[in-house]
Amino acid sequence: MNRRVILALSAALLMGATAVQAQDAAKIAMVAELSGAGAPAGTNWRDGIKIAIEEINAAGGILGKQVEVSEYDTQTDPQVSRAMVQKAIDEGAFAILGTIYSGSTLVNMLVAQQNEIPQFVGSEAPTIVQKGNPFVFRTSSGSQKGVPALVPYFTDTLKAKKVAVAWVNNEFGKGGRDVFTAEMEKAGIEIVTDVPSEQGATDYASDVSKLKESGAEAVFVYMNQEEAARFLIEAKKQGLSMPLVGEVTLTEAKVIELAGGAAEGAIAHVGVTATATDIPGIAEFNEKFVAQFKRNPTHDAIKGYIGAWATKYVTEKVGEFDGAKFAETMKNLCLPVAEYPKMLLDTCWDETGEMSRPSFMVQVKDGKPVVIGTVPAN
Amino acid sequence: MRAYLSWLLIALLLVLAILAPIGQGNYITYVLTSWLVFSIAAMGLNLTLGYAGQISLAQASFMAIGAYTSALLTLAGWHWMAALVPALLLCFVVGLVLGYPALRVKGHFLAFVTLAFNTLVFLVLRNEDWLTGGNYGLSGMPRPDFGFVSTMKQHNFYYFTLAITVVAAAIMWWIVRSPWGRGFKALRENPIRAESLGVDTRRITLLAFAIGSTYGGLAGALISPLVQFIEPGSFAVGHSLRILLMVVVGGAGFFFGPFLGAGVVILLPELLRFTEGYYLIIYSALVIVMLVFTPRGLIGLWGMLRDRFFGKPQIRADVEQGPKLK
Repeated sequence: MNRRVILALSAALLMGATAVQAQDAAKIAMVAELSGAGAPAGTNWRDGIKIAIEEINAAGGILGKQVEVSEYDTQTDPQVSRAMVQKAIDEGAFAILGTIYSGSTLVNMLVAQQNEIPQFVGSEAPTIVQKGNPFVFRTSSGSQKGVPALVPYFTDTLKAKKVAVAWVNNEFGKGGRDVFTAEMEKAGIEIVTDVPSEQGATDYASDVSKLKESGAEAVFVYMNQEEAARFLIEAKKQGLSMPLVGEVTLTEAKVIELAGGAAEGAIAHVGVTATATDIPGIAEFNEKFVAQFKRNPTHDAIKGYIGAWATKYVTEKVGEFDGAKFAETMKNLCLPVAEYPKMLLDTCWDETGEMSRPSFMVQVKDGKPVVIGTVPAN
Repeated sequence: MRAYLSWLLIALLLVLAILAPIGQGNYITYVLTSWLVFSIAAMGLNLTLGYAGQISLAQASFMAIGAYTSALLTLAGWHWMAALVPALLLCFVVGLVLGYPALRVKGHFLAFVTLAFNTLVFLVLRNEDWLTGGNYGLSGMPRPDFGFVSTMKQHNFYYFTLAITVVAAAIMWWIVRSPWGRGFKALRENPIRAESLGVDTRRITLLAFAIGSTYGGLAGALISPLVQFIEPGSFAVGHSLRILLMVVVGGAGFFFGPFLGAGVVILLPELLRFTEGYYLIIYSALVIVMLVFTPRGLIGLWGMLRDRFFGKPQIRADVEQGPKLK
C-alpha cells in the first residue's frame, strides 16, 4: 500500500512540473555549478548575480523591462552544462551568465554561439577565448594574463632563483601550470619540482614532502578551492617554510574558511577581491553580500555581479535585445568605472572576449586576506 | 496470444519514442538522445552483469574507447559510419582482454579489477595528450551526414540515434535468445553445471565481456557527435557506477531493464528540476526507495504486483532461477 502511495505521489509531483512564467520580462539564465565539486564557486557566482539583479531591477531593469533570472544547475558535469545552456535558450534567455569550470564552458559555449546568445563566463582557462567564439566574454582575466602578472613578485619581491609548482591536474590547473612554466623560463628562474595532483585528492603528504626536499625558494600553488585548502593544511602540518604563492584561489574566503589557520601567510595574485575595500564599489558590495548571506563573498561572487551589470550596461548601449549586436558592441569595449560605477574597476574587453583590468596582490594575515599591492592592467 | 501482445507493446513503445521529441525544444530532445545513448551502454552492461553474472565497473571506459576512437577518426575526415567499425572492433578486443581476469576472479574481486581498468583508461586519456588532447579533451566532432539527411539538427540526430538503438536492441534480442544467450544464463545460474553440460564457460565468459564492451563502445561513439566535446572526466569511475545504477534500477537480466533504468537515471533528475535546490536530494531518495521496495528493479515491480494480486506460483528453492546481484 505504502509503495503505491509513494509512486502515486511522485507521479503527481512530476505532472505538476509546469512552471508559469511572467510575461514581458527580460530573461537572463544563470547556468552554474550549484552541486558537485564546483559548488563553492557556483553558489558564490549565483549570490553575486542575485545582488546585481536586485539592484538592476530597483534601478528600472534593462531597457525598462524587469529582469528575471532562472537558475540552472550543471552538477559540475560538462554534458549536463551543455543541456542546461540549451534549456536556457529554449526558454527564451537573451543572455547567459556562467559557467565557471572551464571544462564545462568549453562545451556549452558552442551552443550559445550557435544561437547567437551572449555569454559571460567565470572560467579562466586560456583556450576559451582562443576558439574564435564572438559570443563568449570573461568576467576575470584568463590565466594566460593573470599568471604573468605574478612574475614580478617572484623576480623582484622574492628574488627567487628556484621555484616549485604544485597544481591540480585538470584543464584549469594544467592551463595555469603551462603558462607559469613558460613565464619562469622567460624570467630565467629554474623550476626544480613539478607536482601534479588529482582533482578531489585528499592526501597531500607525499606531495608536500617532495616540495620540502626540492630546495625551492617558493612554491606556486595552482588548485581549485577545496584542493588548495587541503594542500595548505598538509603544508602547515609538515612545516613547509617557503612562501606559498598562488593565483586567485589560494587566498579566497572559502579556502581560508576550510584551511583555518593553515592559510596564514599564503600569498596570491587576484583579479578582483572583496577585501580591496579602499575601492568604494567593492566595499559597498561586500557589505550588502555579508548582510544578505552572512558570509564573505569570494571573487566568484564579484565576477557574477560584474557579469550581470555588464549585461545591463552593454544591452542599453545596443538599445535592443540582440545577441549579434551585443557581441559587436563588446569588441574592444572599455567600461570606465567613473561612468559605469557598478563595474567596480576600469574594465576592458579585447576582440576575443578576453578581459583586462587592474588586479591585486593579497596575503592572508590573521585569518583575513589583506591587499599588499596592486598590479596595473596588462 | 502473449507473443502477439508483447509485439504490440513493443510497437507502441517505438511509436512513443518516435513521437516523443515532436514539438519539443532542443533541450528535451538532447536529454532524450542521451537517454537512448545511455540505454545502449546499459544494455551492454546488462548482458555482462544481468545475463552472464559477471560484474563490471568499467563500462564508462569502453564508452571512452569508443568515443575517442570515433572522435579522432571523424576529426581526421572519416565518415562516422566508417569510424564506427574500428571503434567497435577495438572495444571488442579490449573487452576480450579484460575478460581474462574474469576467468580467475569472481564477485567483488572482479569488480575491483574492472574498477582499476577504468581508472587506467582515464589516466591514459588524460596523460597522453599528444593523442587525446589530455585535460582539454577533443571538440568539434562533426555529426554524420548521409547526403539526403544531415544530423546536425537536434531532432535529426535523435532519430538517427533511435535507429541505431533499435538495431542494437534487435541484435541484443537475438543474442540473448541464441545458444550463446542460454550459455550466458547457464554461466550465471551455475557455472559448474554449465561446464558439465558442455558449455564452454571460458569462451562464454570472454564473449560476455567482449559483447558488453562493444555496446559500451557504440554508446561512446554516439556520445562524441552528440556532445561534440569529450574529455577524460566524462568517463571516470563515477560514470561506470552510474551505468551500473541504470542496470540495477531498471532490472538486471531483463531485456527492457536498461531502457527503464537509463530513463530513471537520466530523465528523472531533469523532470525534478522544478524543485530547484532539492532536486538531487529528491532524486536520490527516490532511488533508495525504489531499491528498498523493488530489489529486482523496476521491471521486477510488475512481477511483484502480479504475485501479490494473482498469487505466487510455488517454485522449489533449489531450482529457482533469476538474475541476482552477488
